[in-house]
Amino acid sequence: MAVAAAAVGGCLPAPATSEGRDIAGLYAAFLAVAAVVAVVVLGLATWSLLRDREGRRTDLPRQTRGHTGLELVWTAVPAVTIGILFLLTLAVLARVDDVSPADDANAPRTEVDVTAFRWGWTFTYPGTDVTVSGSGLPGPEVVVPVGEPIVFRLHAADVVHSFYVPLFLFKRDVVPGRENVFEVTVEEAGSYGGQCAEFCGLYHSRMPFTVRAVDRTAFDAWLASQPRSGASASPGASQ
Amino acid sequence: MSAGAIAVRPAARFSPAEWVSTTDHKRIGILYLVSAFAFFLLGGLIALAMRAELAAPGLQLTDEQGYNQMFTMHGTIMMLLFATPTSAALANYLVPLQVGTADMVFPRLNALSFWLFLFGGLIVLSGYVAAGGPPDIGWTGYPPNSELPYSATTGTDLWIVGLALTGVASILGGINFTATIYTRRAPGMSMLRVPVFTWTVLVTSILILFSFPALTAALAMLLLDRRFGATFFLPAAGGDAILWQHLFWFFGHPEVYIVILPFFGILSEVIPVFSRKPLFGYRAFVFATIVIGVYSFTVWAHHMFTTGAVANPFFSITTFIIAVPTGIKFFNWIATMWRGRIRLATPMLWCLGFIYIFLFGGITGIVLGSPPLDYHLHDTYFVVAHMHNVLVGGTVFALFAGLYFWFPKMTGRRLSEPLGRIHWAAWVVGFPLTFLPQYQLGAIGMPRRYADYSADAGWTLLNQLSTAGSLLLGVGVLVFLVAVGLALRRPPDQPDDPWGGNSLEWWAASPPEHHNFRTIPPIRSERPVFDARERLPGEGRA
Repeated sequence: MAVAAAAVGGCLPAPATSEGRDIAGLYAAFLAVAAVVAVVVLGLATWSLLRDREGRRTDLPRQTRGHTGLELVWTAVPAVTIGILFLLTLAVLARVDDVSPADDANAPRTEVDVTAFRWGWTFTYPGTDVTVSGSGLPGPEVVVPVGEPIVFRLHAADVVHSFYVPLFLFKRDVVPGRENVFEVTVEEAGSYGGQCAEFCGLYHSRMPFTVRAVDRTAFDAWLASQPRSGASASPGASQ
Repeated sequence: MSAGAIAVRPAARFSPAEWVSTTDHKRIGILYLVSAFAFFLLGGLIALAMRAELAAPGLQLTDEQGYNQMFTMHGTIMMLLFATPTSAALANYLVPLQVGTADMVFPRLNALSFWLFLFGGLIVLSGYVAAGGPPDIGWTGYPPNSELPYSATTGTDLWIVGLALTGVASILGGINFTATIYTRRAPGMSMLRVPVFTWTVLVTSILILFSFPALTAALAMLLLDRRFGATFFLPAAGGDAILWQHLFWFFGHPEVYIVILPFFGILSEVIPVFSRKPLFGYRAFVFATIVIGVYSFTVWAHHMFTTGAVANPFFSITTFIIAVPTGIKFFNWIATMWRGRIRLATPMLWCLGFIYIFLFGGITGIVLGSPPLDYHLHDTYFVVAHMHNVLVGGTVFALFAGLYFWFPKMTGRRLSEPLGRIHWAAWVVGFPLTFLPQYQLGAIGMPRRYADYSADAGWTLLNQLSTAGSLLLGVGVLVFLVAVGLALRRPPDQPDDPWGGNSLEWWAASPPEHHNFRTIPPIRSERPVFDARERLPGEGRA
């Protein structure tokens, strides 16, 4: 029963980032509106079906051809509804797409350069020479600090990929020839599975990665412990 | 008015030469329908194979390459070799009949359209016997992944050439339908007395004329890249990977309406007949169809919200707005049923299935039209569920409504009502069982186009439910084929107007004579046959 309920609801997992929390809230608002729409529309259809079955009466019903007032109402009400949904969308979109300025000393941010390739990922930390790379299963692990903004810069080495962490409720395509930048703040320490979401050829289903979020101290210690200046794997080496 | 017609009908003998050389719109319509349905069966078998593969973690039936080829061919076949030509099939058969004329304006061009479509489709399929097998690029064929260095199979080139040919077929058909509807309407049939199915075909035809050239251009550019040294979509050589996505979706979103508007038209023909009322708000329906058609050219980049390369708010609001005219159609259908005399014959059951199921496809379309929600759901099974919700729960349900409805007109025989109900029940249960779990799979993050998934991902049970549902859909199609086979074994026994129809095809014999009509009733509304039957009961066809 729980499965059936979940299957019908399209329930999102609990988000791990502040951006994800905004997205989940927006999704809940959309679902609430959707439920009202479904109840009204299918309620009317069902009501008519139950009442207007042929059988008791087979004479020709009144040949109603339209009703301008009604038609205006069922044009205006959906128009207003989508207007509200659009305003909610805009508010969340602005927060999710926002990237904090690089030179704000009061709000430190961690940057990670991501390069996607067939079929794996390379993560580098600008200014540190630390590189994590891997392909295939189980994929590389990128470590980030919890509770502060992390800016990912996405680059593709060959074809279009997509950087997707389901528990962040977020993905962004990795497109050759352009740099895509986004920012997230992970709210809770933990390991979050990620994967490629844009079909990229033979082993598309086999290029996962993990984002491990730890507190600032642990992050600094981890960064200091990593091998320097490209000494770690080159792309594809950690099969 | 019809008893004599059956007796004098000559026993039709099947003559392949006549069918190959035919320029009769009805025969071309049936050729289109049979070919498109054959592609549907093939695409469906591929879908069942994919569902079988996904029923358990690990690769059991095929490898990654085989799976990638399966979803490429499934999507290509269903969108471009089934759904698009199926609307051409019904339009071919019905438009000349509905506007009260003998044939299309350009009958030979019409035959050319069909053969271009068929051989284009066969060229796409010929990848199965080419070196490297069929294409492995997804039906959306995003470069650079579809460029030669990443997709070496000849099947990808055959895919390009075959689809370009079927695109030309669609464009020629669009010209033909537009010209026929503009110039061949029976006396008295003003544009606002044109049956609503034919209206949807007109708008669809104009969409085809403006959208398919974008696909043709994109395919030509990809072929130039792959085989002639061009670099349109190769960023490393100065090209642009995103350019293809713009061209493809500038075609691809109008395409979505190309494969749904005529099917909205079918509902708008069937529901009035089985509610014994005129379509509520005919003018609003026509207007909404035109608005959807125009608007469908402004929403394409909602397929690209996650690229970081488009104006997300703009394409979000246009996507939301297109829901309003679509909503109008829903209210039109329900208001048509309202206080009618609803007869639950098989065609009407399929329409009701459409209303109850397609609604959720429309709603989830709004969800995906919101960029922040799309950031999570894009390229997951949520999108797969949404598109099948509108294409299977919409297009295919309406197709079956239309087939059960017009089968007596096309063949003179009626499909079995009990078998039709079994078919319908299998689909009404099978559809949600197949696709509701996919919504949830997407919500918890399963990407589409994955040959395999880990047993730890928590996706196994939902995938198994979906696979079980897909089997039910397959059983339903088998029942339909049995019903068709049984019906065709019987002699024709259907009157001209078995359902109490509205539009002119029900004035012609079942099946219609070669040139369709000997007389035409007076046309004073969009329901001339209803008018003749209900208001002038004594008057025959003279």
